[in-house]
Amino acid sequence: MSSYMKINDDYNYVVLCNNIDKVFLAKYAEYPIVDGNLSYDELQNKIELHTAKRVVLNDTFYGLRDSERKEILDLFKKRNMKFILITSNIENTLYADYIFVYEDKNIILEGLRDIVLKEEKTLKKLGYGLPFVTDLSTQLIYYDIFDKPYFNLDELVDDLWN
Amino acid sequence: MELSTLNGNIIGVISNNYKEDDFKDLLVKDIIVNKTKESLKMVKLDETILDKKFSDLSSNYQNKVILASKLHDKEIVLVNFSRGLLKKEISYFKSLFRKVVSYNRRIILIDKNAELFLNCVDRIYVINNDTVKYDTIDIFDKILELYIDPPQIVEFSNRCEKMGIRLDHYTELDELLKAIYRIKA
Repeated sequence: MSSYMKINDDYNYVVLCNNIDKVFLAKYAEYPIVDGNLSYDELQNKIELHTAKRVVLNDTFYGLRDSERKEILDLFKKRNMKFILITSNIENTLYADYIFVYEDKNIILEGLRDIVLKEEKTLKKLGYGLPFVTDLSTQLIYYDIFDKPYFNLDELVDDLWN
Repeated sequence: MELSTLNGNIIGVISNNYKEDDFKDLLVKDIIVNKTKESLKMVKLDETILDKKFSDLSSNYQNKVILASKLHDKEIVLVNFSRGLLKKEISYFKSLFRKVVSYNRRIILIDKNAELFLNCVDRIYVINNDTVKYDTIDIFDKILELYIDPPQIVEFSNRCEKMGIRLDHYTELDELLKAIYRIKA
């Protein structure tokens, strides 16, 4: 991986990219890459077999149900492993501690999740948009209903109606 | 399962029985052979892609190439088309699909992402082992959740309902915001 992308051992990363081709993936060659169109069971087996401290997930959350993604995240925690999830789906950034945002091969934004997801204009201009929960809460700030963006739907619903 | 027997102009299908198109090492120019220039423009690709191998492309570009290659077919079947696409691109392609079907074509979207079906398909089918297990025209249909996670806006409505707040079935964020504002005001 490029030296300017420093990796903190404690963080899970999500890399947002609109063009995840072989050249882009080569940046992450120092980590084992889990990719392919995997079912939940296949992904679970692959992670359980890994001895690496950190793996790259190449869009492997596509096609999994929310409950399955959560179980995979729990598995990472249980095994004391970290991930770099490369994806084009902004919803997946909710699983990150830290986010890199690319446009083709260039980093446009990076930072802690809660900071990057406040960059509404840039993320929408790039085409990624915001995760639904963050978008809804950000718009509700404009309506003076909330005073902060949310990253968890249950919390948003609780705070909205209680 | 004969997909041509399904009802609708733009049809959503939930199924694991269909494989994504894989043109392997074929060059893009050998895949998009019909009205190449116009087709590329419609899927927002430029002509520099023509000399590239399909296998070297990202899933985002692969899906656009597959669509471009089928744009002039009477029946367009796309498997996991949403893979690799950005939110804004999904919105663009939904409007493109509506335009395409107005030219007497049918589009069948076999996908794992219900966001693609929202405000797009006429009917959703669940197909397993060559049999239709379920079908509905309502993206808010609770039975559908047995087979696929609902779009986020539907999930939000569901969670509000669990708290005793019954919202109309909004499928656009703007409408939902106005409804919340009305209740809160």
